[in-house]
Amino acid sequence: MLEDHISSKKSLFSTGVHTELREQNSRSRRVSLIQGNPTGNMRTEQSGICARVYQNGVYGFSSIAECSGQAAETVLKAATENALFMDRHVGRGKGPLPVISGGALPAGSEIADADQKRYIDFARELDAYIVEKYPGLSSRSVIAMEDSMEKIICTSDGYDGHICAPRSYIYVFLNTETTSGTPIELFHPMGGFGVFGDNFTDPALLYPEIDALYERLMQKREGVYAEAGYKTVVLGGMMSGMLAHEAVGHTVEADLVLGGSVAGPALNKQVGSQLVNLVDFAHTAFGKPAPLPVYLDDEGTPAEDAVLIKDGILTGYMNNRESAQHFGMKPQGNARAWSFSDEPLIRMRNTAVLPGKDKLEDMIASVDDGYYLVTSNNGQADTTGEFMFGVCTGYEIKKGKLGRALLDTTISGVAFNMLKTVDMVSDTLEWTSSGFCGKKQPMPVGMGGPALRCKVMIGGR
Amino acid sequence: MEDIRLIAEKTKKALLDAGAQKAQLTVSETETHEFNVDGGEFSLFRTLFDRGLAITAYKDNKKGSIAVNRLDDDSIRNAARDCIMSAESSIADEAFDIAPKQENQVFRTGAYEPDIDLFFERTRELMRQIKERHPKILMEQMIVNHKKIHTVYQNTNGTEFETFKGAYSVSLMYSGHEGDHTTSFFSSDIYTDRLDKPFIELGSVEKDLADTEAQLHVTELSGKFEGSIILTPSSLGSFLGSIISNFAADGVILEKTSIWLEKLGQQVADSRISISICPEDSRIVGGEHYTADGFRSESFDLIRNGVLESFFLSLYVSNKSGFPRAKSTSFSVVIEGGDTSYEDIIKNTKKGLIVGRFSGGQPGTNGDFSGVAKNSFLVEDGQIKGAVSETMINGNLAELLNNLISISRETVEDGYSVLPYMAFDKVVISGK
Repeated sequence: MLEDHISSKKSLFSTGVHTELREQNSRSRRVSLIQGNPTGNMRTEQSGICARVYQNGVYGFSSIAECSGQAAETVLKAATENALFMDRHVGRGKGPLPVISGGALPAGSEIADADQKRYIDFARELDAYIVEKYPGLSSRSVIAMEDSMEKIICTSDGYDGHICAPRSYIYVFLNTETTSGTPIELFHPMGGFGVFGDNFTDPALLYPEIDALYERLMQKREGVYAEAGYKTVVLGGMMSGMLAHEAVGHTVEADLVLGGSVAGPALNKQVGSQLVNLVDFAHTAFGKPAPLPVYLDDEGTPAEDAVLIKDGILTGYMNNRESAQHFGMKPQGNARAWSFSDEPLIRMRNTAVLPGKDKLEDMIASVDDGYYLVTSNNGQADTTGEFMFGVCTGYEIKKGKLGRALLDTTISGVAFNMLKTVDMVSDTLEWTSSGFCGKKQPMPVGMGGPALRCKVMIGGR
Repeated sequence: MEDIRLIAEKTKKALLDAGAQKAQLTVSETETHEFNVDGGEFSLFRTLFDRGLAITAYKDNKKGSIAVNRLDDDSIRNAARDCIMSAESSIADEAFDIAPKQENQVFRTGAYEPDIDLFFERTRELMRQIKERHPKILMEQMIVNHKKIHTVYQNTNGTEFETFKGAYSVSLMYSGHEGDHTTSFFSSDIYTDRLDKPFIELGSVEKDLADTEAQLHVTELSGKFEGSIILTPSSLGSFLGSIISNFAADGVILEKTSIWLEKLGQQVADSRISISICPEDSRIVGGEHYTADGFRSESFDLIRNGVLESFFLSLYVSNKSGFPRAKSTSFSVVIEGGDTSYEDIIKNTKKGLIVGRFSGGQPGTNGDFSGVAKNSFLVEDGQIKGAVSETMINGNLAELLNNLISISRETVEDGYSVLPYMAFDKVVISGK
């Protein structure tokens, strides 16, 4: 466990200002095999201490790559001086942040560290399975990885805590060619919250998922281009999760609202059909641990769920303590930092569209001419809510039945327009958590959703 | 703090003691001063003191890599031991190697020590000028920083490169707002080692801001047609990144999925297209002096007069594939200006788009791309008709390079790259 060098330094916090002191260790392990070639075999370990001081509407921050009592004192002093510099030069003249009640969260479990050999051997076994069972592939890649954060957080008011957050994944990429010689690729992530040794005990347990990936690739091999235009589609759970995160979630991060996002004037207004509900879950969803649970943020705010859209009405934003004060909302634990040298930003945690009552098969059966879009390899969105998602697995729907697979395509739309076209919501929920959200700093996030029937623009050729 | 050359020497010794047969390492210390603006207001001043040690070691043709930031003697020994243990667990491959002995050199570039007061004043001036000249712009976020970097690179072939580098980076993200009208966000980035000019005059910042304001009112575009696209230097940079990663980079050459695999020395683009990587060009700020494998960096042509001259390969993939390695591993792209003014490119356009930003999925392995043309304008009969929204473009990266219409005389130098406007034909453009 990370040795605590900072709790004893709380007595050095200046009075009349809000202060955060954080000690952090971030670790990553990664092994990559491309065509069986060992292209990556990397271990990283970064640790240090940072301080942030809020004074009259501006922050001072400092970090140092050292874990010691002296380092804590150095960054406290530098952050205080930086806050003073900003206050003196830009003088926003805001008052103090509202005080939140204090407390302490119990320390999380120690993050066990597997030998690099374990990652290598596991990846090699999966690679050998793919080579033996599917020799006709044009190429294959296997990546085994783990990243983890351990943080000790001390704040002048709010909760203190010792947080341990590991996650580990295996990514498999398979490539082949269409009958006309066009290269195509599909990938599949496996894993989730937890250390590598807990999540991956036996390569054979993953073979069915690799087999399913191969099956989808073979369907795509015979695939066709989508017909470009404004179409009725059924978005699978992974796609609706991406919609929840990229197209809606970012626009309702309060810092982006202050930066002019479309959600500013849309608060308390209808932004989707009455079937649409959206929540950023903190640590528990539907009675189970959320994919990447967050119990405490880096400002010392205990994490709780943020209800963003209820029955189609935009009801709230995700906040840090400063933006919550600005909007008159309650901070709910969304301020998180990636590295010891990063300041907390407003980040999503586990953002999901809530399931409805429809059956997926009925939704597909209800579409006369459209598409069932299942997985994505990429998504981007604008603060206007205009989004673009790459679709790497999809199928035609013709007269209520699934048809041919699709070659890579793209969908786009404007979130608050598109959500109003949602007229069926499945009773299932699919989570993903293997990627990073990018916003000045990377951040692991979970996203999820049910299948949605709606209308989007789809790109063809 | 201990001298980083001494740390490098200790690390090399620890690696050899642990059994490394070949190794390279970089020790770095950085100091960053950063100001942030959020929602149009100054919000944060950061100072960061960082350091790090990155090692790659080889034993029996097996490779291990490690990066840590604890640099005391015990941590160095542990890092060296862990790195060798990782290598021992890995798979042997004779293609692993590092550069042979290069001439030892010390590089000093840019503004190593920051002028924080002047830097802050330039930043305030930028904020003020944007408010005065572009009142419809709302600054979502501005991040400006000076980073001072001191590194020592050593390898077991006896090479040592020491670098002292400092520069200011300015990164703006903003959108236009007027009444109920809002534009897509746009970002402008500059990298400079001088503070003698207002930031608004550097790169394409002023034009980017004006273009964003002009995007407040959109023109409806319906239906689908095949037309031309004029890529701005900014969007051209992202297309070039996709072209390199899809056709010329390590992964696709190792996988043998690149459609250019058999094209080295052959025509892959219009003969007017030359794409160079120039890590020490005077217009590139703080470029690369040595490659990731320990070679002294040199300029090279990726494409010269339409002919594929080089892939973008590391030493490892070069050894695996038999193709020459890239002489630089930086993305310091230079495309020199052409023979047509930007104004004439627009005048010569029958129907198409000026694409300011492309928001698209990862292009397919074959180069097919599909996505939304953001911050873009419709051009018809040689005139800009207005901004567009919800407009998609589809095409193929390889075909694009062969469908060049013209290259602008004007180039944008933002410190990262030197790029012109380039117009291409036969792209499918579809409105709602």
